[in-house]
Amino acid sequence: MQKLVVIGAGMASGRLLEQIIAANPAAYDITLFNAEPRGNYNRIMLSPVLSGEKSYGEIVTHDDAWYAENRITCRFGEKVVSVDTDRKVVIGEKGEVPYDKLVFGTGSSAFIIPCPGHDLPGVVAFRDLEDTTAMTEAAGKPGARAVVIGGGLLGLEAAAALRLRGMEVTVLHISTHLMERQLDPAAGYLLKKDLEKRGITVMLEASTKEIVGNGRVEQVNLADGTELPCDIVCMAVGIRPSVKLAQDSGIACGRAIKVDAQMRTQTPDVYAVGECVEYNGALFGLVAPLYDQAKVLAKTLLDEEETFVMRELSTKLKVTGCDLFSSGDFAEGEGREDIVFRDPARGIYKRLVIENDRLIGAVMYGDTADGNWFFGLIKDATDISDIRETLIFGPSFQGGAQVDPLSAVAALPPEAEICGCNGVCKGNIIKAIEAGATDLGAIKATTKASASCGTCTGLVEQVLSVTLGDDFVLPAAQPVCGCCDLTHEDVRRLIKVQELKSQEAVWQELGWKTRNGCHVCRPAVNYYLLADWPLDYTDDPQSRFVNERNHANIQKDGTYSVMPRMWGGMTTPQELIAIAQAAEKYGATVKVTGGMRIDLLGIQKEDLPAIWYDLNQAGMVSGHAYTKGLRTVKTCVGKDWCRFGTQDSTGLGIKLEKKLWASWTPHKVKLGVSGCPRNCAEATCKDIGVICVDSGYQVSVAGAAGMDVRETERLVDVATEDEVIEWTTAFVQLYRENAKYLDRAYKWVAKVGLDWVKETLADDATRRALVERFDISQSVYQVDPWAERAQPAEAVKFHPLADLTKEAAE
Amino acid sequence: MNWIDIGHIDDVPLRGARQVKTKVGCLAVFRTGETEVFAVSNLCPHKGGPLSEGIVHEQKVTCPLHNTIFDLNSGESLGVDEYRIDTYPVRVEDGRILLDRDAIAQRSAA
Amino acid sequence: MDTVIDARVKTFIQVTELWIPDGDRLVLANGNYGDLAAFETATRAISFGKGEGLPGKAWAEQRPVVLKGFDGSYFKRIEAAAEAGLTSAVALPVFDEDDLKAVLVVLCSDSDERIGAIEVWSELDGLMMLDDGYYGAAKHFEWVSQHTHFPRGQGLPGGVWSARTPMLFRELGSGYRFIRADSAGKAGLTTGLGVPVPVPHDRQFVLTLLSARGTPIARRFEIWDARPEKVGKETAAILVDGICERDGPLWTDDNDAPPRRVTANQGNIGKVLATGLPVILSGAPALTEGYSAMVALPVYQGGALAHVVAWYI
Repeated sequence: MQKLVVIGAGMASGRLLEQIIAANPAAYDITLFNAEPRGNYNRIMLSPVLSGEKSYGEIVTHDDAWYAENRITCRFGEKVVSVDTDRKVVIGEKGEVPYDKLVFGTGSSAFIIPCPGHDLPGVVAFRDLEDTTAMTEAAGKPGARAVVIGGGLLGLEAAAALRLRGMEVTVLHISTHLMERQLDPAAGYLLKKDLEKRGITVMLEASTKEIVGNGRVEQVNLADGTELPCDIVCMAVGIRPSVKLAQDSGIACGRAIKVDAQMRTQTPDVYAVGECVEYNGALFGLVAPLYDQAKVLAKTLLDEEETFVMRELSTKLKVTGCDLFSSGDFAEGEGREDIVFRDPARGIYKRLVIENDRLIGAVMYGDTADGNWFFGLIKDATDISDIRETLIFGPSFQGGAQVDPLSAVAALPPEAEICGCNGVCKGNIIKAIEAGATDLGAIKATTKASASCGTCTGLVEQVLSVTLGDDFVLPAAQPVCGCCDLTHEDVRRLIKVQELKSQEAVWQELGWKTRNGCHVCRPAVNYYLLADWPLDYTDDPQSRFVNERNHANIQKDGTYSVMPRMWGGMTTPQELIAIAQAAEKYGATVKVTGGMRIDLLGIQKEDLPAIWYDLNQAGMVSGHAYTKGLRTVKTCVGKDWCRFGTQDSTGLGIKLEKKLWASWTPHKVKLGVSGCPRNCAEATCKDIGVICVDSGYQVSVAGAAGMDVRETERLVDVATEDEVIEWTTAFVQLYRENAKYLDRAYKWVAKVGLDWVKETLADDATRRALVERFDISQSVYQVDPWAERAQPAEAVKFHPLADLTKEAAE
Repeated sequence: MNWIDIGHIDDVPLRGARQVKTKVGCLAVFRTGETEVFAVSNLCPHKGGPLSEGIVHEQKVTCPLHNTIFDLNSGESLGVDEYRIDTYPVRVEDGRILLDRDAIAQRSAA
Repeated sequence: MDTVIDARVKTFIQVTELWIPDGDRLVLANGNYGDLAAFETATRAISFGKGEGLPGKAWAEQRPVVLKGFDGSYFKRIEAAAEAGLTSAVALPVFDEDDLKAVLVVLCSDSDERIGAIEVWSELDGLMMLDDGYYGAAKHFEWVSQHTHFPRGQGLPGGVWSARTPMLFRELGSGYRFIRADSAGKAGLTTGLGVPVPVPHDRQFVLTLLSARGTPIARRFEIWDARPEKVGKETAAILVDGICERDGPLWTDDNDAPPRRVTANQGNIGKVLATGLPVILSGAPALTEGYSAMVALPVYQGGALAHVVAWYI
């Protein structure tokens, strides 16, 4: 009988042995080496063993009886020292074994990030039963904390299992969303939410700097300075094929052991199978192709023809109650079309990627019933042009399953606050409906919901519709755009109520029909998020119109205009000299504006960082003449110079401008401060106007001097500058928090009513809370965008990516 | 094809674009996904808006001047007015963005 | 498969019965009374109104109810129970949103040998706390449980709560650590089944059955997933987890074989799918995997049958 020696008792080599024995039990005299002191078990089920949802006994694939029955000589717990391919012997720690055929099934080992402290006791991988036992031991201590490094399949399974075991778990992931190789951002968002519901903390874009501890792991320190005390660190960042033995034995290796389609290495009578092989430049980690390889190698060893073919793979996560499925290619390439389905009420997201009438990728979260059907379509490259329209509804499509436009509201919990003004939650409204209030008027009368500013009217109507079903006819409302069914007001309110803090959260929870919005909704959603969650949300420049992204106004010829800030219209000879020099240097046309500043027109995009740098050097910052934000505070000269002046209007204007500059608002905001009722600063047609009088200050709001011309209306009369600043700031913040994107203040005030604005701001606590929230936002946003972008690393982004004009056209 | 390396994928912001100057005019290289890129003419045929400055959504861009939307696959506009922009072969390999030199040259010859 | 394999074992639960609403009364649909014929006869003679007796209380209060010690309580069959040696009971209402589908009642007798646990956990201030439970002779474990709480995602109650699905834990007392493992190990507890108990109001309840080797609650457990998200539009369920003393693990890692699937009316699980009601079988009937009795319990979620859990003895 020929002698077959197999090194490594893993899932692939185990399957290989099964196949050989099933086909011909007398084919080989088999010796099996394994460094672990045990035989083959189902490694992919280690995470449920870690969680306690499975026992080790259940995942044993081959027990001692099986090896005995099949007369396999087991050398478990014995390492192979070397292989002599000339003499055809395997040299184990306990002696040599000759072979006729040799199979490497050495598998892989965990990749450990070589950060300081990676070798401390308490840092474990998650590859074998020993790792699993080490982690369960650590979990035994009450209140024990684990840090899992790596938000891929293995890391997340470990995290969920450790959490079930009772640990406090933090997952650190380097990328912007979880499982980025298998999931798109939307599915990654849902997965993160799901894990957080289990009490797991997920930190994205988290880079591990070092692991510290005195003789044992005590803490993980991140590059951003975060410190995470912990009892155990699980490194699950990836695997590396174990090929040292093969390399030392002179077997040809690339990243792993090189094999052909019959699993033959380049050395005669030596084969390899599993995670330690490299075929056509590819490595293998998922189980399906390993089993395919085992089948092919079994045939090869039995002298039968078989060829290994790479096939499409699908991914599932073994976390109980987490339903996700992904397969194929959904992020790369051209000529592709997406079909997106979201059902926020049930937490479902599905996306199909189609190319040339073939399904090439599928990601689904929450509903994976059709996963295998889609997987089949991908694998077989089926022409789906005939079923394209209904494809996303799966094989059992029966003309139903439309997205319910109300599902975002249906998904709200009863305690969700629908009317912020009067603190009315969804449960109250439903109770009122059940008690007989079946129209908007009755709801207003019984609960006061939408009875104040009225911006939640749409939501109240939707609660009526969800509760009453067909008995309530929903009035047609203007949705933000074709991407969703909700109005701006509804989106704003839901972002607050549901605490949606990322674009992905908005797309999913509010049932967006597109993958990432469009030029209409994305700037609005970006604004709403940054206005409501300044500390949690990061402004996305790619969701901004060109002027705000480039911090300059684009002109019809593609050049830009640059306008430095002149606080309250005051300037100095030094500033004017710098402006003049810059204008000359960059060939600008110079225009004095209506807002008391100087505009430099005709600047090339690539010159912007340079001219900003020059202006910064003279102490000037961006005038934000291009933003939906504070533009100018127009002032008159005030009592220092003017014989009619009653107060220091210029000084107050400067103070207001210094307070408000660089804040983002739904639309532009212009202020005026006049020193007397003669109103030289034209304050009464601004968004906010201040008129100084002998007794103090008249603050008025909601003026306009554009397509509409409107005089401001009096908000309040106050005695001191500090009060002017407080009321003005509170008004701006109220506008920031409540108005529809691209509504000027006068339009917004007309919608909610000046009385509501006055009433809201008149409450001292509310007013101060608004100012406080404004200050928090300014702590993030009150920076000069020019200075940031004049830095060399940023400035280069204003240049073309490449200049190929010097390339010869061949 | 004759590929030229024009830069790293991360030099183009996700859902953003960068310009590439060529002898035959300016191209816009869009990044619509982690490793998904498109190259088209930078000039909107309507009023000459620089498309690289537009908002990118799915595999489409909206012109920053007058909101004409172009499908980056076909170069065709969506909506009532029909415009078309030239598209160019582009691909990503090991994180590098590659443009086809011949495709750029062909246009110059035409 | 139709033969009973083992000699009778002493079981933790003596009586299991199913009450279903008929108008404004709960009437007995089915029950497994073992050899307690007199108690069965006494039971067949009665029905419960809302709020009446133990089943009626579970219905009225819309929550699982544990009752220990019948003397002087609202329990209606005190005398018959005393004669049968039954001392404690747990009533579990099965709600499909606002509709009561059934009330499952289990009755146990006190003895120094019977060890196991039937627990009702409920959410309070963001933690799962023990509402009440019946532990037989496992007194220390009872004490530990009363002093344990589970945050979201932790342990069997916290896991079921956050995952919104039934779960099965193995080797509760062994080396790897069930949160109450030390004590569970000493009490001889091996397998734990956790089941979410949806009720019409917002409060979260989790029922756990912790089975010991000597006096098992069950010797085979199964969890079936019947959500359309998992099985498509057909009325069907797949076996997602299970453990059997005789057949070993009842799950597949789906690289080898697809999970077992049943459709409406196919076997006992199929009967639950078709009727939406729990099933109780006794006396070694067919299709119970060779065991003498079984209970299959539907679990509803969002207005539809989502899971079926079954236990066999």
